[in-house]
Order: sequence, then C-alpha cells, then structure tokens
Amino acid sequence: MDMFNAGGPEVSIRSLKKDSMKFVLSNCDLSVANALRRVMIAEVPTMAIDMVEIESNTTVLTDEFIAHRLGMIPLTSFDVDRIQYTRDCTCTLYCPNCSVELTLHVKVNVDIDEMNDATIDKTRHVTSIDLISSDESVKPVTDDKAHPILIVKMRPGQELKLKCIAKKGVAKEHAKWSPVYGVAFEYDPYNKLRHSHYWIEESVESEWFVSPNAQEETPPDPNEPFDYNAKPEKYYMELETSGCMKPEDVVLRAMTIMQDKLGGLQIKLDDEVTGEAQRWGY
Amino acid sequence: MASSSSKHMGDLKQDVNDKMKGAQAHAEALFGGKNLADPIPTDKWKLLPAFLKVKGLVKQHIDSFNYFINVDLEKIIRANERVKSDVDPHFYLKYTGIRVGAPERPDQDAISRTYTPHECRLRDLTYAAPIFVDIEYVRGRQIVRRRGVPIGRMPIMLRSSHCVLTAKNELELARMNECPLDPGGYFVVKGVEKVILVQEQMSKNRILVDIDRKGFVQAGVTSSTMERKSKTYVGTKNGMIYLRHNSIAEDVPIVVALKAMGMQSDKEITMLVCGQESKYVDKFAPNLEECSKRGIFTQQQALDFIGSKIKAPKRSFNTTVRRPLSEEALEILATVVLAHVEVHDNNFRPKCIYIAVMARRVVMAMLRGDLIDDRDYVGNKRLELAGQLLSLLFEDLFKKFNTDLKMNIDKVLKKPNRTQEFDVYNQLLFHGDHITSGFVRAISSGNWSLKRFKMERAGVTQVLSRLSFIAALGMMTRISSQFEKTRKVSGPRALQPSQWGMLCPSDTPEGEACGLVKNLALMTHITVDDEEEPLVKLAYILGVEDVSLLTGPEIYLPDTFMVFLNGSILGITRHCKKFVAAFRRMRRAGRISEFVSIFVNDHHQAIHISCDGGRICRPLIIIENGRPRVRTEHITALSQGKMTFDDFLKRGLIEYLDVNEESDSNIALYEREIIPESTHLEIEPFTVLGAVAGLIPYPHHNQSPRNTYQCAMGKQAIGAIAYNQLNRIDTLLYLMVYPQQPMVKTKTIEMTGYDKLPAGQNATVAVMSNSGYDIEDALVLNKASVDRGYGRCQVLRKYATLLRQYPNGSYDRLADPPIQPDDPLVVQEKFDVLDADGIASVGERLKPGQVYINKQVPTNTSQDIGVNSRDPTANAYKNAPMSYKSAMPGFVDKVLMTTTENDQTLIKALIRQTRRPELGDKFSSRHGQKGVCGIIIQQEDMPFSDLGVYPDVIMNPHGFPSRMTVGKMIELLAGKAGVLRGQLQYGTAFGGSKVEDMSRILIEAGFSYSGKDYVTSGVTGEPLSAYIYFGPIYYQKLKHMVMDKMHSRSRGPRAVLTRQPTEGRSRDGGLRLGEMERDCLIGYGASMLLLERLMISSDIFEIYVCEMCGLLGYAGWCQHCKSSKGMSKMQIPYACKLLFQELQSMNVVPRLQLQNVF
Repeated sequence: MDMFNAGGPEVSIRSLKKDSMKFVLSNCDLSVANALRRVMIAEVPTMAIDMVEIESNTTVLTDEFIAHRLGMIPLTSFDVDRIQYTRDCTCTLYCPNCSVELTLHVKVNVDIDEMNDATIDKTRHVTSIDLISSDESVKPVTDDKAHPILIVKMRPGQELKLKCIAKKGVAKEHAKWSPVYGVAFEYDPYNKLRHSHYWIEESVESEWFVSPNAQEETPPDPNEPFDYNAKPEKYYMELETSGCMKPEDVVLRAMTIMQDKLGGLQIKLDDEVTGEAQRWGY
Repeated sequence: MASSSSKHMGDLKQDVNDKMKGAQAHAEALFGGKNLADPIPTDKWKLLPAFLKVKGLVKQHIDSFNYFINVDLEKIIRANERVKSDVDPHFYLKYTGIRVGAPERPDQDAISRTYTPHECRLRDLTYAAPIFVDIEYVRGRQIVRRRGVPIGRMPIMLRSSHCVLTAKNELELARMNECPLDPGGYFVVKGVEKVILVQEQMSKNRILVDIDRKGFVQAGVTSSTMERKSKTYVGTKNGMIYLRHNSIAEDVPIVVALKAMGMQSDKEITMLVCGQESKYVDKFAPNLEECSKRGIFTQQQALDFIGSKIKAPKRSFNTTVRRPLSEEALEILATVVLAHVEVHDNNFRPKCIYIAVMARRVVMAMLRGDLIDDRDYVGNKRLELAGQLLSLLFEDLFKKFNTDLKMNIDKVLKKPNRTQEFDVYNQLLFHGDHITSGFVRAISSGNWSLKRFKMERAGVTQVLSRLSFIAALGMMTRISSQFEKTRKVSGPRALQPSQWGMLCPSDTPEGEACGLVKNLALMTHITVDDEEEPLVKLAYILGVEDVSLLTGPEIYLPDTFMVFLNGSILGITRHCKKFVAAFRRMRRAGRISEFVSIFVNDHHQAIHISCDGGRICRPLIIIENGRPRVRTEHITALSQGKMTFDDFLKRGLIEYLDVNEESDSNIALYEREIIPESTHLEIEPFTVLGAVAGLIPYPHHNQSPRNTYQCAMGKQAIGAIAYNQLNRIDTLLYLMVYPQQPMVKTKTIEMTGYDKLPAGQNATVAVMSNSGYDIEDALVLNKASVDRGYGRCQVLRKYATLLRQYPNGSYDRLADPPIQPDDPLVVQEKFDVLDADGIASVGERLKPGQVYINKQVPTNTSQDIGVNSRDPTANAYKNAPMSYKSAMPGFVDKVLMTTTENDQTLIKALIRQTRRPELGDKFSSRHGQKGVCGIIIQQEDMPFSDLGVYPDVIMNPHGFPSRMTVGKMIELLAGKAGVLRGQLQYGTAFGGSKVEDMSRILIEAGFSYSGKDYVTSGVTGEPLSAYIYFGPIYYQKLKHMVMDKMHSRSRGPRAVLTRQPTEGRSRDGGLRLGEMERDCLIGYGASMLLLERLMISSDIFEIYVCEMCGLLGYAGWCQHCKSSKGMSKMQIPYACKLLFQELQSMNVVPRLQLQNVF
C-alpha cells in the first residue's frame, strides 16, 4: 500500500485507560510519528508548581527540597488552555491570568498526653491532599485517595506553611511539566525492513523475543525476498500520563501543537516569499 | 499398566532405601557417627554478622582504649606510685589507685554535669572525663589517705566503656543526637573528631634475621621494656660474629661478649651456639680463635675490653665515685643490652643462652640463605592502637606531673618556717592542667613526642573524614606504616601472602603512600596485652624444661624444640606435637585467653607462644576428624538468637588464629576442599576484603586495580553521612538529596549499614556512544532525570566566629544593619538579610557579598580604658563583618550561638547550597570507572528502549575493553533482573547472584538474556543498528564539582611585594603563563604577545633611568647625579625594579646602559 495515495495518516486505538493509552499510527512517515512522540514528551503544556513562597518550615527537609518535591507533583491540567504563559502575560511576576495559587499549612500540635506513648504513631504525613488550590481545575492529581503523593513527614511541634504558584509550562524547560512519564514507540516488530541488526549468538528466533506488537502484523515469510524499497507503515505507540490530563488529550494536544507549528511556519514562509518577491521585483 | 508400573517403582524405591540404610550404617561405623546426608552448613556466613555484633566494625580501637583505661592506667600508676622529697626524707606521696569517671561538662556553673559527644562537636569542647587518683601521703606526722582526687581530664573515645553512648538503644542515641550506625572509636577534641590511626611496627622482643646494608647476615632484636627501648644486633663481618649495641662504640666479638657474661669455657660457648653439628662448629670456630688472639680468656678480661669501648655515659654529677670500667660494662650488659631478658642476682645464664640462640640463628643463616626472615611478613608486625599510644603519652605526662609536683613540694618544704602545716593535697589540686592539656595537644595536633623513648611522631591523629559514611568507616580501619614514603623499596609496599584475611588486598591509596597505608579486613581483631605468668606456669606444667639447667647438646637434640613466650626463652620440650596440641586444647577449652597463639617453627625447632598486644587475628572454624565442628544446628541456633558468637568460641567450635599460627595451619576455603590435613575452615571468603572494598559488587570479576580505585573513590561519594547529619555543623558537609541503596548489594553492605546510609543512586545506564560528548569517559545525562532529582546534592559549609573579650575589658559585639544617613528607612542590600541581632536569620537567601554576621571589633584592645572614659576613640569599634563569598547564592541553614570552654561566645553559621548536576561534575560507578558529565540531553532526544524506558546516564562502551571491569557488566545484569523481579540482588565477592540465574530472570520477563535491549534513537525515531546494554548501575556522585573549581580572571588583586597577579582560585588569582608556555611563544617568535603576557598584563612599572650613572631615578630626577639631565622614562616589570633595589640593598649596583635600538 502506498501511503501517499491512501488518504493520509490513520490512528487506531488499541487500549485506552485513565492514564495510559496504546494506539497504532499508520500511513505516515517515520519522522511524523517520531515528532508526535517528541512533542508529547516535551511540548504539551501542563500546569506545575513553579514558585514556592515559604512562610514557615520547621520540618526536617530544607526549603529547596520541599520546593522541588512540590514541583514534581502533577496538577490537573485539562483546562490549561485557559491559562496564559507568564512570559506572554502583562503582569510582572504572576497574576490569576497566568498562574494558580495553592496553599499548604500543616501544623502538628504537641499533645502532652500522647507525648510519651510510644504506641501512637505521631508521624504526620503531609501529602498532596494538604495542598489547597484556589482553582478547582488545577489541583494535585489524587486518583488514588489512599496513596496520595507524600511531600514530607512531620513530627509534633513542626509546622509547614507555604504558598505555591503553579504556572503553565512545557517539559522542554523542566521535566515537571511533562504530561507523560514515558512514551514507548516501535515499528516493524518482525524487523522486515532490516532497520535493526540483531545481536545473536546462534539464531534470532531463539534469542530474541518478538515484541507483543507483532500480533498486529503478519509474520514474515522466510522465502519472501527482501524489499529494500519498503517504508515503515505502522507505528505502535504507548504512553502513560502523570494523570494531569487524559492520554487521548495528550495526543490530541500534541497534534495541535505540531499543526500550530507548521501553521506558523507556513504563515512565516508566505510572508517571506511575498517579501522576497517584492524585494526582487517579481 | 500405569498402576503396575508405579507399584514396580515403589518396590524399587523401597529397595534403594534399604540399601541406603545399610550404607548409612556402614558409613556410621566408618566415619564415627558422621551422617553422610548431614547438610553442609552453607550459611556459615551468619557467623560474620554475629562477630560484628560482638566486636563491631572498629572494636580494635575501642578494645584497646578500654584496656588502657581499665587495666593499663592501674599498671602505670603502680610503676610510678611514689613521689618523694629531696628535702624531707619522711615525706612521701603514694598513689594507691586510679580511675576515670564519667564524661563531665567542664563548665563550672553547669547544672547538669553529664554531656554528650554531640554537644562537644557543636560547642568546640573536648569530650573528656576526669581522672581520679587515690592517694596516701604524709601530713606533718600523720599519714593521710584521700580518695578521688582529680588530676586531669582524659579524652574519652566514643563508644568506649566510659562513653555515655555505650549500651544505648537507638531511641536513647537519637535523644543524644547520635547516629546508631556511627562506629565510634574516635575522640572529640576541641569540637573536632580525631582518629588515632593504627600504627604498624616491627614486633618487639623477637629475633629477626636479615641482611644489613653491607650484605652481611645479622640478627636483631628490639628490646622493649617499661623503662627503655633499645636495639641489639648479633651481626657478621667478614665471617666473624659480633655483638652490636648503641651503648657500645665498637662491635664486640660474640665470644668476648659471652665471656663477659660469665661463660668462660670455649667448649660451653661452642656447644651452646652450635650444638654438636660440625658444620655449625666449623663456621663458628674462627670466633673462638679471634677471642684468644685478642688475649681474652677470663670474664674480667672480657669486661675490661667491653668497658673500654663503652660510649661516654651520661652520668649525673652527684655520683662522685667513678666505678671501674669493667663494672660499667657488666651493668650495661645486664640492663641495657637485650633489656627484655632480665638478669636477676647477676645470673647471666638466660641472657647467655639468648645471645647464643641469636648467634646460632646467624650461623644457620650464613649457611642457608633461605633462613633469613622476611621483614614484611605480617606475622613479624605489630599494630599499635589508640590505647597503647595514649598509655605511652599518659605515662610521660604523669611522670612530668610528678616531677613538677615534687619540685613544688620541695620548694614549699625548703621554707624554714611555714605558716600552715604542709598539705600536699592543696598542691595536687591546684597543680594546673598539665595532663589535660597534654592529651588535648597531642590528639589535636597529632604530634606524639615522648622524650623518654626518643619518640617524635607527627600525624598520628587525623581528622575523621565525614565526607560520606564509608569514608568515616574506612578511616577507622586504616593502618599507617612507619616507613618513610620517599624510600623506593618495593618490599613493604607489596601485597604479602600473609595479609590474607587480615588486611584488605584492595584498599590502599594510589601514589606515594601506596601499600604503606593499609586497611583491616572485615573480620579481624587486634589483640591487647595479656598476662604472661599463667602461660609460663601452664607451659611448665605441660612439660617444658628450664633451659638454664641444660647444656648446648641437650638443647639442640634433633627432636627437641625450644619454647618461646613472647620472644623470651622459656625452656625446651621434646614432645613438640603433644605440647602444642595440649596447649591448643587448653585454649579451646577457654582455660587461657582465646587470643593466645602458639605455633611451631620447624626450621628453628622452636615453639612460639604469643600473648602480646597488637597481633592481628581472625576467627576460623575448627576442623576435627575431617569435618568442621560448626554444624547446621549451631547455625540454626545462631539465627534463632539462642547462641552468640562468644558461645561458638567458648564451645571450641571456632577459634582465633594470628598470622603466625595461621601459617602453621591448613585452612580449607570451602567445605568441599577439606582434606585429611585440614585444621581449619574459612568462615566466608569475602572477609578477605575490608569494609570499603566490600561495597563493590562482583569484585572478583574486576581487574584488581579497579577495585583499588573504587576504594579511593567510594570515600569521595556524596550521600548520607549519619542519622544525625542534619544536626551537625561541620566545616563542609555534602549530602545527597535522594540517596538510594544499591540494587546490587553485598553482604558487607548490609553489615556495615551502607544500605541505610548510602552514597549514590541507581541510574538506568545505556552503554552506547552518543553525541560525541561522551568520549574519554564523559557521561551523558538525561535532563529530565536531572530535573527530577538525579544527582542533586546539598553542600553545607560552616562559618564560625568568636566574640572575643580582650584583656582591657573591651569585647567584640554584633551590630544591627548600619543606617544610611540619606535614607534611614532603607537597608542597604548588603545588610538585607541581617536580623535585629546582627546575624542573618535562618532560611534567608544569601547573595554573594552579603553580610551574615555583622561583627564589630574594638579599635583599642590593649590599652586600659578608664571606666568612665569620655574619650570617644577609646570605645570606638570598627566593622569586621563576615560576608558570604561564593559564586552561587546560599541559604542560612542554621545559626548556633554558644560559649566555649573559656566562656567566649562562639557563633557558627551553616550555609547551604543545593546543586543540580551540571557539565563537568564528576560521577563514578562502583568499579573505579569515573567520568565527568559531558553533556545534558533533553529527554526526547535520548535513545529509549521498546518499553519507553529512557536512560538516566549514557556511558561510552570504550570504558570497558581496557579497564576489564566485568563486575560492572554483571552488576547491570543483576540489577536489571532485580528490577524486573522487584527484589535486590547480591554481588557479594566470591559469590553473589549468578549470571545464569540473572539471564533466566531476564528471559522470563521477556528480555534478552544478554542484557541488551532494542533501542530507538530519540532524534530520528529509527532503531539503533546495534543492541544496547541497558540497565541499572549504581552511580556515585563525587565531591569534585565544577562549581568549586571553575575560575577565571580578567583583572584582580595583585601581590603586595611584586605587584604581580595573585596565585590560586581562593585569592581570585591569575592564570599563570608558565615557562613551557613561554618557551612555545619564544619558539614561535610571538614576541609582542610575550611582552604583553609577561609584563603589560602583569606587573608593568614605569621607571626613570639616569643615562649618566645607569641608576634608577624618580620623576625625572637622578638622586645620584643630582640632576635631571639625561633621564629616560621606560617600562619594566615591577619585579625587575624590585630586584635592582634588593641588589642595591646588598651593596651590588646594577646599572642600566641605555641604547637606541632603532
């Protein structure tokens, strides 16, 4: 099948869960598929805590330590389009248009009665649940209520009071803005195209596993002659999100971003072409 | 069909079972109850944690110190118990007892006297306890007894018997701010943790035959008694044997020496040296001849001869009567020569025999070259520990204390009429802190100078390195040798076969101290001195005959063995095997100390018993009748806690062997290797390595220098230091933000606690070439990993200052931020972080140059100030602020305000930086493979596996072929298997998880057995044509970070004298264009560049030269010619001008002759 004649790229979803997704991309060039992967990792904007104003921290962890931990907490970002990048905003540092404020205040009081009772666990786990967001659409991902994300453990007498400023950003700048934890990407599981050269001692079949993606394809016929003109067709992708947005949204947004980029490029190129044309007078 | 076959099978089984039973009965009869099906105790390694539980990792230091405090102090007091007066013969002071109290806070007005080591660390105090003595003395006409008189303070070793930390549980330790994993064994002196390193020395009081500088055979003995130390040699010169000693100016022919000691018969001498062997007699005969040639036949003649050769004795002036030289000689022979062989009632016989034995050894070595002893043999070495060194120091200080006390007493007693009755107690109480300061000075400076033994040692103590937990631990097991480092002899540096199991073969530094600084292996113990008398008695009971009653031929009968105890001759026995076996039985039965060693030297026909301190020994399982005495049931009882290590010792299942006895035993490495001759079985082979080398997974697969490199690098790894790391205020503290325990650990790691205080992270490594920024061992890091906290560390630095009080009553003070006159409400940025008390508040962000302690110092610190002085200059202060100097902003982590021992206010500020890895930071795996970060790559550009796994680190495969660190590859494989199984794998030396099992796990999880993965390029999306070795490897971040090293300068400070740019990064110095660079530029001909580099950009200076006299003038005027005629202005380096002037100051006149060049 020649992909240039077949009506453009196609996607078929193999599985879709709350925070992961498997799909097959076909009828497109390798570079496009790879670009999609790269954009999903690095350029889909999400929300993440970027600034922390610590008012009181008497925990065992240092301010930077806690700030770093807070930054790594995924925030729900399905409504991220509503929020501006700070660099595009008119404000000086941050404002409601370009940021969301989250506060955290935990103080473990000293209970005289419990003090000397070793049987009571006096350790207080400060978790993502304790982060109070000012914006309902941007809050820590707490899908698993029983196991929220631990920030710090506290003991009686300690206090942690801080204000977080979550901003919109992309993972190119810092990995905390990445919506995905990893993107698996594969094509040609039978290595029909011979893009890979298996390292073997005796035989490929006995030493290398065929990837599970192979069930989507027909096994090669050993007698089939090698088609050196063949191009990769189907790309098996799997992504796992941090929970900040739905996996399908990640894909869709990534595609939009690619589109926007190409669109921007097109406009720029048009301008350039007309500009050049005027300059040279034709 | 099926049922019938199964029945048939059943029959067959029954048959086999019957046969087995028969065979078993047969075997029982044969093997004395040994069941062939007895399970082999495979987990006998469990003895090791049991050993460490009893002994601890640094038990050598603690044992030695405990022995000193509890036993040795008493002995020292006994030896120096009386202080008398030259003035009043009736007066005496006698020490009747000594004891060390509990550590006590020195502050006079302290409410609670007990204190913790951590308080000492923070407050710069010395962790010490008072020394109390019981005394008995004469006051007037009565004898007074007093108990518990303090004479000084003794620094206390942490976790020793007198330390507050001993026998405390984890909770109690936590309350005292102490880490339960900290090994102790060091001192806290003036707030600094100091370790007294183990010192390696040649053993004392043992005959050692070697070759002297001229190539002649000599037997030497270092005699060491409480009073003196001296070296005696019996050496050869041109085939003749001589006695050599420092106190005798010339070599004394051996026969003359023996005759001087009363052995006048030539026959007796010959017999005592040679026995009846003619070859020895032939070799020895010339000596007799020489003696007779000199005309020495009697004892008196011999003594006269020696007397005339004695070096001018240092005698005191009060002995007016000069004794005849022969008496002098006799005394020297009795007390100085071979001082450890005591002469009682002028009975020289034992000493004669000793010298004869030495002579015999020399004769034997002259005939057989292989009888020369090996100086580097570990059995000939003794290790000197903190206890011994402190005991030497204490004796010295105590003696000094007593002589000072005596002088004071004499001074008082000399006064003809005293107002008060003389009570020495007051003298004793207000006698100063000579002992206290002596200890503190010695430990904090490391200089052990004892006049008595002419001992002058520097660098005995070292500051405990707290760079990482393992660095501190490694320091506690370190042994430093007394050899000079400059000497180019390989012998002492070489790996000795006798080091096996005692000293770590891997852990030694590279470079000048290579092989001289060693480390103890994991399961070693160093003995302390033990009582000799019971052993002497036991030996005689077991049939040793006193050698003084025998003659030469009897001593040297073929089946007669001479018995030595700690190098001194006890006697002889004719039943060597029986004697040794009986002796060992007594030891195994616990009748004598388990650390007494006995071994047979067949070459010398000698049995050596040792109970002296400083021998390295280690436990081994005893084999009896071809089977180890430790059985499975013992190990089971051990794991259930029903037995301890000591029970194993008591029941004679294991025993300690020192190096000498070890060499006399047949030790099987594994149970399967036991042969009928085997006497012992190793507990675990991996105990040959030390605590630091024990961190390396699969070290037995690595090229050996790689393990040595890792031993050096493991100590520089950043990680967790101790549980109390956040309460410490150290000068420099490196902490890792997210340390992880290694995926592939070792048994040693678990036992040392490295898994609880790790220094590194499990990085997912792809072994591949990428980007070219990974050549020469550079690493490629994943930016996302770095963002997420990989390799992140905190650097905390202490800045301290004292608020001094001066003799004139003025004192330093803290000031609040200065007010600007123009705008009083705005604080200057420099003082922005200061709190109202003049110190930056905790949590504040410090920018470079900001002040964090705003100290002010009085301008007048010496002159007296009137109390109500109105003179404003008298009370003026000048600013002496402490400002933050670093390229990167820091945060105030902690501020401590306290007082020191002498009531001065001490302020410590701890400033913290959090650093993420950057280009040029150094990393290393545990296999001596270090590398710097060459580039940090975006996650999307990184290659990734088919599962979407992106590596944290990419390592260049060229690191492998030449380094041959196969262990690292296996670590990756085992780590990958561990990750897939969700369990930790073991890479214990000479064992650990097997590669085959690891590959199987990989296959089960759907991976290639080889550890290689299908990897796609992140840039193109195409698969890489090669398969990539991909998996977790434990990576350490080392303390060398670019931030601390990078340096550049355009303009900056210059040295005052030469006006040239300063040197070094700390002084913002210039980068030197050195001689070789200069040569290059000369060769190239770039003269203008040279001029610019060497003068214009450095120390250019404008001078005026007088063309008449050629001297330097000033501002167009020549002072010499008193004229301004012919003055030329020119530029020369300031250093050149300085040279001219310095020459002039030495009456050398440099004159410049100027010419027009163009």
